[in-house]
Amino acid sequence: MKFTLFRAADGTEGGGSPVGAPVISAPPVVHSSAPMGPTKIAARDVSVFYGDKQALYDVSLDIPDKTVTALIGPSGCGKSTFLRTMNRMNDTIPGAKVTGRIEMDGADINAKSVDPVLLRARVGMVFQKPNPFPKTIYENVAYGPRIHGLAASKSELDSVVEASLKRAGLWDEVADRLHSPGTGLSGGQQQRLVIARAIAVEPEVILMDEPCSALDPIATARIEELIDELRERYCIVIVTHSMAQAARVSQRTAFFHMGRLVETGDTEDIFTNPRERRTLDYITGRFG
Amino acid sequence: MTETPVTSAMRAERLRAGLKRRYAREGRFRLYGLLAIGVAVGFLLLLLGRIIEQGHTAFYAHTVTVPVYMDPARVDRAYPQGTNFELLVAEQQLARMGVADDAEGSKATAMRSLFSADLKFAAAEIVQNNPNLIGQTVPVAASVSDEADLYFKGEISIDTPAEQRRLTDEQIGWLDRMKDSGLVAAHFNSALFTNGDSTEPELAGVLGAVVGSALMLLVTAFIAIPLGVGAALYLEEFAPRNRLTDLIEVNINNLAAVPSIIYGLLGLALFINWMHLPRASPLVGGLVLALMALPTIIIATRSSLKAVPPSIREAALAMGASKTQTVFQHTLPLAMPGVMTGAIISMAHALGETAPLLLIGMVSFIPGIPGALDAPTGALPSLVYIWENASERAFHERTAAAILVLLAFMIVMNAAAIFLRRRFERRW
Repeated sequence: MKFTLFRAADGTEGGGSPVGAPVISAPPVVHSSAPMGPTKIAARDVSVFYGDKQALYDVSLDIPDKTVTALIGPSGCGKSTFLRTMNRMNDTIPGAKVTGRIEMDGADINAKSVDPVLLRARVGMVFQKPNPFPKTIYENVAYGPRIHGLAASKSELDSVVEASLKRAGLWDEVADRLHSPGTGLSGGQQQRLVIARAIAVEPEVILMDEPCSALDPIATARIEELIDELRERYCIVIVTHSMAQAARVSQRTAFFHMGRLVETGDTEDIFTNPRERRTLDYITGRFG
Repeated sequence: MTETPVTSAMRAERLRAGLKRRYAREGRFRLYGLLAIGVAVGFLLLLLGRIIEQGHTAFYAHTVTVPVYMDPARVDRAYPQGTNFELLVAEQQLARMGVADDAEGSKATAMRSLFSADLKFAAAEIVQNNPNLIGQTVPVAASVSDEADLYFKGEISIDTPAEQRRLTDEQIGWLDRMKDSGLVAAHFNSALFTNGDSTEPELAGVLGAVVGSALMLLVTAFIAIPLGVGAALYLEEFAPRNRLTDLIEVNINNLAAVPSIIYGLLGLALFINWMHLPRASPLVGGLVLALMALPTIIIATRSSLKAVPPSIREAALAMGASKTQTVFQHTLPLAMPGVMTGAIISMAHALGETAPLLLIGMVSFIPGIPGALDAPTGALPSLVYIWENASERAFHERTAAAILVLLAFMIVMNAAAIFLRRRFERRW
């Protein structure tokens, strides 16, 4: 509802863009500060179609390594769709089509020679709702190394499980019940279990799709701390609805609106000095 | 505007009135529900009560134990099976009761018909095991004939009009005398559970049909479950959604509603006339029932696959599991309780199916107990059909008993379904 209202207001006022260009075709504003790390993922003119409906329009975005990049924007703006192009999860949706180019370490991930199964071993994903497998805690974490054949022996697997749980900050809470069901944990613990499961295969990138939206504030704080720790090793892309969370955990922010990338840059910059009217309206809570 | 303003007292009054109506409505609905359940339970009890009332007498039978003088003049030491023991026993029994026979020996024939055919085998076996008994008097126990059994059970009496019974007044008198002298005893009718079908009701049993049904279900399960689950997995998880798969889906749904007799005709044409598989065999029966069970299994499997939360599939795919790994390591195990339930319910359904079995030759009398998949066999539902149509009155109670055995078989299967469901159920 708010979304439609905004469109009408924007249209009549015509104040969406400072340069007065039509809102819809405006190129994204890129803040010009230096990137945090080398570019891990480079998206160029990425569009996504679900059947006849276009969900994402020509998004070009550089995502630096060892950095948390937040994708923000109102519901239905295409941020989750963009996130899912980076591990080719859109491949699993019938009728979905991705155009443009996404490079990871300079190589096109949509190339015919790239197996999505291997890609997903390099790009882990954490979902909105904690979705541990209905298996034991141990089996959940061991699943990835098992299917990818990464652990040569039981003891090696044990140590991978332990290290992953430790890195996800869950080890102390579950060390004595590794073989009880993962679904028996609390929501926040389940989400950390899922993160442990994702990092057990030593991915390079971790995609997080609103990982805290189903959690209480304390569990959220715990996950945010964890994200901050994980930043040292991984390239993290997080979709979030919460401005405050984006401000807390990310170093880079990209604002999406109606399927387009509107503005991107250092988080601090975006939040203190947005250059686009829509970004300002969104981060100050005037819509969203 | 002359409307009176709605005061809060009026609002409260309206709310109360509405609330009352809502509760009355709920009360009525509950009553309808209770009535429906009452009627259903009533019919069920009526059905079960009638079957038990008719069938409970089949679970016991009467035996007679007669002293037999193993006359060396008539019993052949080398070949005791050749002896006409029935006549021997009948004559001795007549003599003991002081009844003089006529020249044609018609009284001996009448007496002899009171004993079952197994008297001969029982007596022959005794002599065969111990030939030294020839010349001595030995007690021999055997079933009484079906008519005599009915008389002892009180289902025929001397007051029954003569044209409705096959026992003469004289035979009834003999039976009374044998009973009074303590020769007759009631016992559990083990023949019903250890024998195959027989033309003699007192020797007929359901074991052949139970084994036949079990063998058939085995064939059905081995064919229908893997095929059905495989087809459902492919259609639900792998197949693209297009016109062809839509057409297949509609067809499967329609096949589930095709009358079973059509499957019987198909089985007759396909398996017997074209592939020349043996008639009335558990193999053919199982194949026909598998064709019938397939659509149900496919539909049940697909709906339980659909019920698996997509978050689990996404989790597995995002971990880099391949489509096949996702399906076999996550989706199928989670759908297993539903798959098992669907499979066993369709098996139970197949167990009770009669029409297709009659068409593939199980309508004929098949004695004995099947030992192979290609041997002719009976099945429980076709046995019920055959016994119900038999002319001997004693088969009526046995029909009801066979129905009870069939129901017990089904209850065991459904219990297994519930057990498996519990066993495979997992939380997510």
